[in-house]
Amino acid sequence: MTRQDIEREVRDIFLRAFEIENPEMDVNLREAYGFDSIDAIELLLEIEKFLDSELTQEEKKQAMDIRTMKQIIDYIEVLAAKRKTLPEKNK
Amino acid sequence: MRERRVVITACSAISPIGHGKEQIVESLVKGVSGVKTLREDDLISPFIHSRVYGTVSYPIAYNFSRQHRKTMGPVAYYACQVAKDVLEQAGLPSEFVTGGRLGIAFGSIHGSPTVQRDIYRIFFEAKDKASFQGIGAVDYLKSMVHTTAVNISKMFGITGRIISSGTACTTSSQSIGYGYEAVKYGLQDAMICGGADEYDTITVAVFDNLLACSTAFNDQPQQTPRPFDKARDGLVVAEGAGAVMLEEYEFAKKRGATILAEVIGFACNSNGGDLILPNLGGITKTLQLSLDNAGINAQEIDLVSAHATATKMGDIIEAQAAGAVFGPEPYVVALKSYMGHTMAACGAIETVLTLYMMQEGFIAPTLNLEDIDERCAMIHHVQKLIEQKVSTAAIQNFAFGGVNTSLLIRKLT
Repeated sequence: MTRQDIEREVRDIFLRAFEIENPEMDVNLREAYGFDSIDAIELLLEIEKFLDSELTQEEKKQAMDIRTMKQIIDYIEVLAAKRKTLPEKNK
Repeated sequence: MRERRVVITACSAISPIGHGKEQIVESLVKGVSGVKTLREDDLISPFIHSRVYGTVSYPIAYNFSRQHRKTMGPVAYYACQVAKDVLEQAGLPSEFVTGGRLGIAFGSIHGSPTVQRDIYRIFFEAKDKASFQGIGAVDYLKSMVHTTAVNISKMFGITGRIISSGTACTTSSQSIGYGYEAVKYGLQDAMICGGADEYDTITVAVFDNLLACSTAFNDQPQQTPRPFDKARDGLVVAEGAGAVMLEEYEFAKKRGATILAEVIGFACNSNGGDLILPNLGGITKTLQLSLDNAGINAQEIDLVSAHATATKMGDIIEAQAAGAVFGPEPYVVALKSYMGHTMAACGAIETVLTLYMMQEGFIAPTLNLEDIDERCAMIHHVQKLIEQKVSTAAIQNFAFGGVNTSLLIRKLT
């Protein structure tokens, strides 16, 4: 899975789940789009579905400082790398 | 404690007979009922004997953004729409709306049963941990008992106090009463007050099991409920929402607000005993307490909006109590005859309809009241539409659990 694949998926989640179309990469999501704590919890569930893997409590806590699209993609990239091999459906 | 005068400066309702003044007044004047055939729910509806429901069957053009929709179940849609209506009508400055002196008193009987049903479906059917992920992070916010009040606060940025009664059929009459007291005693300068309930077959099943629901008019839904009529056979559950804006009188006058009526008195008590049966002593006491609270005589009441659910015993007890306190003179209308029992919304909806009749100078007849039960005959029933100025009205509501309320409003001259 490339960084581009992750970005495409995150953009799809934002459109589908949060009705936010093409969010900018480096803006504060809360300030620009009203993305709040409830959305953040929902995003974590979407990431778990995407990776087909449950996140640990520690991993979820690390997400609390995320503010931008770029940080979300970085975060998922690290999680994916940690899981090394991704399930077939996401390859 | 210094007592301040409290006025109503806006009102709105979503009801089985329409949304807003124009549609509702037209239905009242033409005698249109909003009772329809019960919808199938693929769950318990086939087992319910009562096949009627007061239904909001017209589309409502909501314009809520996702940021707000995500924490709203159907009940909150109704609540936020009527709150939006009264905020727009009242025209309060935006800095006042968010400034902390505007509060909210709003409730429902048990939040959103539609969302709760979805949660329980997952709870009972989930086979593994992954299926539990179907319970969303926001499902509690959508379904909790104060979901209406807090979704209103979120949508409009209101930062004053929150009161969220959940006392079944007195939920929104308490909202108005407690909102009135909050403004009267200076705790807030304005309050959005009301209640809402969504389409829910479980409520029908509950009343059906208690033999309190209408079943004899399943093939002619508009013939029921029949408050005070000899052929009445029980209540009809309904959905809807109602809201009023209460403001301190001097504040409203100073800003040039349209004043629809003054709230002049409120009383609430409990029967202190049986949780289901209507209680003559408790209800009589409430009505008298509201007169005492307003400091007026019974002779000053022109119109009584009766709770009148069309149950066998409830209507008789209410007629006896109203007759004993208000006497045979005031006109009495049972507005549930048009739409059934909107549960948490009924007190607010009936207040809104009373305000419309006050404004337009007419009294709607109790629908389906063809043959008055002689045990209910000691009060002045309205059986035909009449042109009539209404100065002072009493709106009474009684709930399961033995809770009674009486609200008195007066048109300013």
